[in-house]
Amino acid sequence: MRASLPLAALASTLLLWLPPAPSHAEGSVLDTLGQVLDDVAAQLASAADRPYHVALALTDQEELTIQGTHGAHAGTSHGRRRTGDVDLRVGDMRLDNTHKLRDGGWFDFPNRTRIEAPLGDAGPVMRALYARAVDDTYRQARQQLIKVRSNQQVKVAAEDPSDDFSPATPVQARVPVPPLQLDKVAWTELTRETSSIYLDYPAVYDSAVQISASREETSLATSDGTRLGHGRLHFRVATWASSVADDGGEIQVYDYVDVASADRLPDRAAVTAMVRGVAERVTALRAAPLVDPYAGPAILRGRAAGVFFHEIFGHRIEGHRQKDEDEGQTFTSRVGESILPAFLSVVDDPTTARLGDVDLNGAYAWDDEGVPAERVSLVERGVLRSFLMSRSPVEGFPRSNGHGRRQPGFAPVARQGNLLVLAENPVPYAELRRRLVAEIKRQGKPFGLVFDDITGGFTFTGRSEPNSFVVQPVTVWKVFPDGRPDELVRGVDLIGTPLTTFSRIVAASDEMEIFNGSCGAESGWVPVSAAAPSLLVTEVEVQRHEKGNDRPPILGAP
Amino acid sequence: MILTLVLQALAAAPPAPSPPVEQALGVELTRAMEGLRLPDAAPPYLIQYDLLDGDVATVFAEFGALVDEDVAPYRSLRTEVRVGSYTLDSSGFSSFGTSNGIVGRRLPVEDDLVALRREIWLATDQSYKGAVENLARKQAALRGLTDPRPPDYTTAPPAVAPFEATGTIPAPEADRLRGLVVTLSGALAGTPGVEVGQAIARDWQGRRLVLTSEGTRVWRATGYTVVRVEATTRMADGTEQRDSRSWIVRRPADLPPEAEMLEEVRAMGAWMARLPTASREGDYLGPVLFEGWAAQEVFSQLLVPELLGTPAELSDGPPRNGARARLGRRLLPEGWSVVDDATEPGPLGAYLSDHEAVAPRRVELVEDGVLQDLLMSRIPNEERTQSTGHGRSLGNDRRAAMPAVLTVTPPRVVGDARLRKKALRLAAQTGRDYVLVVRRLEPPVLTGDFDVVFTGEGPLPGLTEPYEAYRLYADGREEPVRGLQFSGVDRRALKDIALAGNGVGLVDTLDGPPGVGRYNIGPTGGVPVSWDVPAILVRELELTSQPGGEPRAVVPPVVR
Repeated sequence: MRASLPLAALASTLLLWLPPAPSHAEGSVLDTLGQVLDDVAAQLASAADRPYHVALALTDQEELTIQGTHGAHAGTSHGRRRTGDVDLRVGDMRLDNTHKLRDGGWFDFPNRTRIEAPLGDAGPVMRALYARAVDDTYRQARQQLIKVRSNQQVKVAAEDPSDDFSPATPVQARVPVPPLQLDKVAWTELTRETSSIYLDYPAVYDSAVQISASREETSLATSDGTRLGHGRLHFRVATWASSVADDGGEIQVYDYVDVASADRLPDRAAVTAMVRGVAERVTALRAAPLVDPYAGPAILRGRAAGVFFHEIFGHRIEGHRQKDEDEGQTFTSRVGESILPAFLSVVDDPTTARLGDVDLNGAYAWDDEGVPAERVSLVERGVLRSFLMSRSPVEGFPRSNGHGRRQPGFAPVARQGNLLVLAENPVPYAELRRRLVAEIKRQGKPFGLVFDDITGGFTFTGRSEPNSFVVQPVTVWKVFPDGRPDELVRGVDLIGTPLTTFSRIVAASDEMEIFNGSCGAESGWVPVSAAAPSLLVTEVEVQRHEKGNDRPPILGAP
Repeated sequence: MILTLVLQALAAAPPAPSPPVEQALGVELTRAMEGLRLPDAAPPYLIQYDLLDGDVATVFAEFGALVDEDVAPYRSLRTEVRVGSYTLDSSGFSSFGTSNGIVGRRLPVEDDLVALRREIWLATDQSYKGAVENLARKQAALRGLTDPRPPDYTTAPPAVAPFEATGTIPAPEADRLRGLVVTLSGALAGTPGVEVGQAIARDWQGRRLVLTSEGTRVWRATGYTVVRVEATTRMADGTEQRDSRSWIVRRPADLPPEAEMLEEVRAMGAWMARLPTASREGDYLGPVLFEGWAAQEVFSQLLVPELLGTPAELSDGPPRNGARARLGRRLLPEGWSVVDDATEPGPLGAYLSDHEAVAPRRVELVEDGVLQDLLMSRIPNEERTQSTGHGRSLGNDRRAAMPAVLTVTPPRVVGDARLRKKALRLAAQTGRDYVLVVRRLEPPVLTGDFDVVFTGEGPLPGLTEPYEAYRLYADGREEPVRGLQFSGVDRRALKDIALAGNGVGLVDTLDGPPGVGRYNIGPTGGVPVSWDVPAILVRELELTSQPGGEPRAVVPPVVR
């Protein structure tokens, strides 16, 4: 990854610290949430259908964003909000209101009550807001349980009769989150200055350089005794630039660095290099030819391979999908079987905060159900061993391994954290590339492809649509068997289906690359990382990327 | 000799340089008019830039606790390129999922000429391409149609108002508003039954620049300050009743004293505290007396759509035969008149020029109860070809006609006692010993009703929900009622006004044009509109009782 030097060292005389947000997890918020739980328990003590589990959470999010564009300061935003969540279960662990209705209708899914909580220490107001939300949620939960029980009677027996909820050891921990501190003056100047670099590149039409700094602190209190306060800091320096090719193809290149503390932010030289790199890539891509749909051998460089695994493997080993009969359940019955080449193992490890010199975005100590994060060995030497588990059990996996995650305002489900693809007997990248050329020749193909960098991807996991994936590369190179220089191309997406594609991975390189990003699914957006070596795949398929049709700007840039 | 030199120097003094953002817009406007052209497509015949440049502060509190606060600069550009001609151009046609040639874009907050020009360049380019395509789509949709149609746009003489005329723009008063929302929402704490007690305020202060290729260059100071307090009370039977108070002024200094605002909020709280013991009114068919605040909403919701002359947009779909304002239509009983006059300073709805930089004129809309004239933007219709200076809209929407400062005048106004007596007499004819009085109606901007938003045309019952209503008995007794909603009300109800009483004077509101936007604005958005209306007695309206709810199993503690 990129060099990291603290900017503060360069501009210590310009320091303007943001006023720190008060750390609320030290007592008052958790105490208030605890009081609400006590109130609820007391008021519903005699109710026959009282909740058997209640979890109350408060997430305090503060974010500062500074952006520069075309050599000017575009704007600064600084906001803070506190979002409250109520997760409440009626019935019992075996069958409760969260049980998915089979063949449910549009209005069979209850609305989630979201709380906009006060920013300051306002215990009485908080208690009223949470009590209101608990009652609204409780009313819906009881109605939902009636539907669930009826659904159970009407439908055939479920394929997976697992319980709806599992016990977890209560946690009592409070880890203070440092205040959000950023040198606003220096970063305003740096984003302004580096954004002017794009003016030297005529092919770049629109562009920006941005830093965003965020602080998130979560308080969780549950009726089974958990009292947890923790959180994280996150900083991202990002830049993007766009252009339009003569054929109307939109070109967007985005690059960024994620770090977990301000002292690890990139310095001026690193940001400058990042901006120049993006500008040069946009310029090169604008002139690059389109590539036709193609099937043949390819190398997925580390970041692309990481996203590839996140999409086609990671989402399919999320625990709740294994008992959801609307899901494709690619791997549900494959535990103990070989699903990957024997030289590959996969773990998801939220407990690893840094890999090499790179801070991992998917690191956390406890998940959003208050369960300690665990390193989960998912695949060992090609054999599937486990799933990512929240407190919703599946057959053979009765307990959480600390992967119940959510964006504030959503209900937690099993999600990925840091997905790490590990290879045995790796080879240097040069050797991997040599093998690619050999494979191209063996198959008699005119060229192979190297997927160098990607923007993201998505996958369909349900049964009602093809179980396919799409990985969206930015930089793709054609590699020729006759020794010609590689050729940059554009306009394709990598597509496929999981089982076929896995079976065609034949070798891995000895270096790991890391993709830090955010993943969106049923429980909202959560920060994740995916790390992998470069992979040689004997056959991949690419399709044309969705293309814009606008002409480039008619008049020259000012 | 010295004096002469000084005078010469003064005479030769160049005008104050225009701000960088105006310079940037001017340069790009010229460049675009000279060179922006796609092969085989028409060039722009008109480019309009509409810049909003200022600062905005928003604060939100619940029961005295600050929940959200945001203070930020705001610099946003609306670019509209028109292709074709004033007779037939690219505007006024919508096709789902395609551009109509209007582009909104945030501009850098820093006055950097290069950066500003690049953003304007990209916006203008995008707007032009959208306009070219939209004109083609519109021509295709019009192909074969033989009905005569009015021109798409009218000319307007260039207008000029320099930047300097806007004076000093004050910074938003976030600190003051923060204190205010905390205090006002805190005043509802401890009110029995009140479950939601919120206050929100926004202070937007800035300038608007309208710069067009016709030579218009108009700077205006703009902005408003809005404070709203909303409360919801929940009865033992699970039904809910909402209420609100709003203050909408030019700037924070124009707000009433805090003590006065507090008194209003406490009065609202006291009203709500009475509701849990109030009767749930059954279905009601009979006369309804609207006190001043509610009467303003009745006129706003039923009358305004009848006063606006902007034709509906064309679209890909089959031609719609929707409601439209019709000159000569009777809207009110004999003797009533309605005038819009935004030219007199004072009301919040008054202005020097509209969003198209056209100065407003006084429009005598209704005379003797009959519609005689229409409010117009620069989009003409079959009957009116000139703007009346009422072209305004929300955000980047097309500039359609909106009211500004409306005065509704009855032929005579009676005192409260006489108005009530008449109301009771009409009620007696329906066999009731009381008449229903509505003191406040829910403002459209606060409507969260799914049906309203979904249909987009207005509340299905015809009028929004009564916030405050009571039974008035002959002995003067006022008995709050709750749980009512109107049924099947439309503009014809206005012709059924039996009598008018004293209003509450000038009421400043935030509103949007009729249609989906009006009911989806939110508590701090909208365009200022001022009203002066009398209280009214309508002979017959129908209200139905809202269904009950479920009592709380977990009762929230009363916040103190």
